[in-house]
Amino acid sequence: MISIPKKGSLERERLIAEHKACIKSMIGVPGCTILRCDTPGDTTNVSGGIHEDIVLNRVLLRMRAAMPANGKGKLVVICTEVDKSWRIGRLAGVRGVPPEFVNDTIYDNEQDPQHDIFVMRLDEMDEEDGYPEHFNEGWKRRNDNWTVT
Amino acid sequence: MSAMKLTGYADQFGVNPGKKIKFYVNCDGPSEYKVEIMHMVNGDTNPRGPGLLENLVNADCNSTYKGRKQVIHSGSYGFVNDNKHLQLESFTLQCWIWPTTPKTHPKYWRHGAQGLMTKWSDNKGYGLFINEDGFVELRINGEKISTGAPIRDHAWHFVAATYDAETGEAKLYHEPQIQYALDPDIPSVSKKISNGISHTANVPFCVASYTKAIDSNPLAQSSVPAGIIMAGHYNGKIDNPRLCDRALNRQEIETMKLGAQPGLTERRHSGPTGPLSNCIVGSWDFSSGINTIVGHDKGPYLYDLQIVNCPTRAMTGHNFSGQNFDWKHAPTEYGAIHFHDDDVDDARWGVDFEWSVPEGQNSAFYAAKLTTSDGDEDYIPFWVVPEIGKETAKIAVMVPTISYMAYANEHLANNAGGAELLVYRVPIMQDQNMFLSEHREYGGSIYDTHTDGSGLCLSSRLRPILSIRPKYDHFLMQAPWQYPADLHLICWLETMGYEYDVITDEDVSYDGLARLENYNVIITGSHPEHNTGTQLDALHNYTQQGGRLMYMGADAWYWVHSYHPSYENLGRGVITEMRRCESGIRTWRADPGEYYHQGSGELGGMWRYRGRYLHSVAGTGMSSEGFDISSYYSRTYESNDDRVAWAFDGIEYDEKIGNFGFVGGGAAGTELDIVDTMLGSPPHTLVVATSAGRHTEAYLLVMEDFGFNQQGLDGTQHPRVRSDIAFHETPNGGACFAFSSIAYCGSLPWNNCDNNISKLTGNVLDRFMQDGPLPPPPADAYKHRGRADYEPPMNKSSK
Repeated sequence: MISIPKKGSLERERLIAEHKACIKSMIGVPGCTILRCDTPGDTTNVSGGIHEDIVLNRVLLRMRAAMPANGKGKLVVICTEVDKSWRIGRLAGVRGVPPEFVNDTIYDNEQDPQHDIFVMRLDEMDEEDGYPEHFNEGWKRRNDNWTVT
Repeated sequence: MSAMKLTGYADQFGVNPGKKIKFYVNCDGPSEYKVEIMHMVNGDTNPRGPGLLENLVNADCNSTYKGRKQVIHSGSYGFVNDNKHLQLESFTLQCWIWPTTPKTHPKYWRHGAQGLMTKWSDNKGYGLFINEDGFVELRINGEKISTGAPIRDHAWHFVAATYDAETGEAKLYHEPQIQYALDPDIPSVSKKISNGISHTANVPFCVASYTKAIDSNPLAQSSVPAGIIMAGHYNGKIDNPRLCDRALNRQEIETMKLGAQPGLTERRHSGPTGPLSNCIVGSWDFSSGINTIVGHDKGPYLYDLQIVNCPTRAMTGHNFSGQNFDWKHAPTEYGAIHFHDDDVDDARWGVDFEWSVPEGQNSAFYAAKLTTSDGDEDYIPFWVVPEIGKETAKIAVMVPTISYMAYANEHLANNAGGAELLVYRVPIMQDQNMFLSEHREYGGSIYDTHTDGSGLCLSSRLRPILSIRPKYDHFLMQAPWQYPADLHLICWLETMGYEYDVITDEDVSYDGLARLENYNVIITGSHPEHNTGTQLDALHNYTQQGGRLMYMGADAWYWVHSYHPSYENLGRGVITEMRRCESGIRTWRADPGEYYHQGSGELGGMWRYRGRYLHSVAGTGMSSEGFDISSYYSRTYESNDDRVAWAFDGIEYDEKIGNFGFVGGGAAGTELDIVDTMLGSPPHTLVVATSAGRHTEAYLLVMEDFGFNQQGLDGTQHPRVRSDIAFHETPNGGACFAFSSIAYCGSLPWNNCDNNISKLTGNVLDRFMQDGPLPPPPADAYKHRGRADYEPPMNKSSK
């Protein structure tokens, strides 16, 4: 399993910088990925990001695969006013229970919260996971499989 | 958390001019709301585009209406109205159960006891339950008897309860079908209960719920029976429920498992034995009438259960043997109904207003726009469809309403942890998602699992469908999807000045070729993924007789759908059904033996596995999907072929085609189709442009195209992860043009429709809409072609 880079490490700072550069270049795109647009807001030519940084790629995959009810709960973006404002929320992991906002930050574009969530996850996620010492009963009851529905 | 105070739906998707359409509105809080019928042109609010475009229609229903709250009483169950035979002094209740959520999280939206077989309300009556601790429980009035043994989820158990009024003895049995080595025994438990059973008049006998209250509140009128509020909706299967009017001993209970035996020859009674036949009140056989919403009683009184909210039938029972997989061939092994607490077949709201659509009203996309002075807003989309024979244009847009229903009220952004591996970023939830995440009673989509985790295979249009809304960006693409994405096409047609009619999947499914044949060209929506067989028949018949088809999207003609026959009295196409079987892109997977539709009896799953290749309909079929960003096309040398070169008039050979757009930022994106002559593309199909090699790692090959997992399946590596724009002729001067990407329509309105995607589409439409057969291809185009057989470039270069 890929590990989450330690706080203060150069690798972590590199990942954060690359992620941020990708996200900034995606502002204006009706969609998003962790790649750099050669021309900001234009996906004609993209590079860098997950296609060229294998650690960033794998760390993101591990973050994305996390189950909603594990840890503190999964972070999401919530649009609070169409095409105007966005906030960060956290899934409840229980059906019928809506997400809750995690802070008061309001974003004026839909891409910036992607980066803040990346940084929050770096802080929140266990550095190591998925090894025998992390075994728990949930592994036998499908809690080890990323959900689709 | 959600601020949505207005929601609503209409009684029809498509309405003919001269007919009425009814609207049902929940206005939760505001005292009044305003109604304006709008002609919808664009629903995408992206600031880089034209923005929301809607035109007020002078409609007789445009007015201000008094607001009232309306609620959905979701959760499936069966019931028999109260009668003297059900007001028992002594009884035996028994059934097989396969519970899916015997114990729920305290915050679960319907945490609490679940009713199995009940005639119980407010501590009066009798009933068999699963209590909130997950134990089987017998209730007699306010007395409760439990085994104290947690019931295993997703496993069959036989449960029974008896009560003898004379002795006061109540007994409860819980007998798992499978006992593992370390499972403790679960002995039956007994308790003396005196004073007999108190009955409340009008409390029905229920299967899979219990009666919470008899309520005169107007909100209770949309429950069934009206005015009776149900609670304790059970999640799981129930098989062979029986109700007798005396306490049977264990041997008699065993015999009663056989139930009523009306099929016996020389029979003189209805029961498995003469003495037992005398005590049967109800012996329900859910293997009978699987395509109905009736739970048939084979006992002497014929107390058929009215089934509410369309639970899933054609489900394997406790005796499924694994020899027959079609319920029609082994019905007795399909005696189970799977009930869910979030099933919904019809919101059953009161009518709030109607619109009498004038004769001559333009066929188009419409919506009833609802607003309040506080800024609340909702739209109820519908379509005005001309009657057959009264078509008003040469062009018809076939609105993919079955696909809209399949995606109706999807919960993936919440349930699935954002399905982030799929979308390759953190999902964005809209107000509609937030509302649905706490209003599970609005039901889910066919992409969701029920609240108990089982696959959701039935979707009703008689409920507010918040995903069919303008201004709604879908979490999958962070952009319009389905309805608002199809408005990109409408925006383009309107801007370019084309006259068009709209027809729906329903219309084509019910009316067949007659619905299509008077048009010169049929234009699809961006993602017509879900289809009935009669619809596909109609499209084939249409193109074979010279009709022209413009397939504007991708991942179409994919899943087998059928409309449930038991709701035809409420209109066409009220409930659609699909099953996710052994292949295809499945957000859930049907269990063994549960592949056949309960409504039509046909095999579900992909049309491909019914021998009906998706590529055969319009020339291309699904190859891959990814939801991060989109890309663009380049022309191939086949675009210069005289058969199709006209489509590129005004477009240079080296142009980047569609490197812009409102869905992912390019015309080639989200879900992609390719030509494959081994999968139904006609051998003479021309690939005129392709996006090969330009997709990201998020794009992956569809699983039905490979037999085992291996590396190299993504858009940066696999050659089949691409979109092919393709053309082929059909007999009698017909043709198909496949644009093969869901994102394609999102590029049409770019730069006020002045772009090369608009140019290409306009060239095709101008040619396809002309009267009479299309010009024949050059004589040398007629030649023998193989499917797999062709001359590889290496052969050519070695000559």
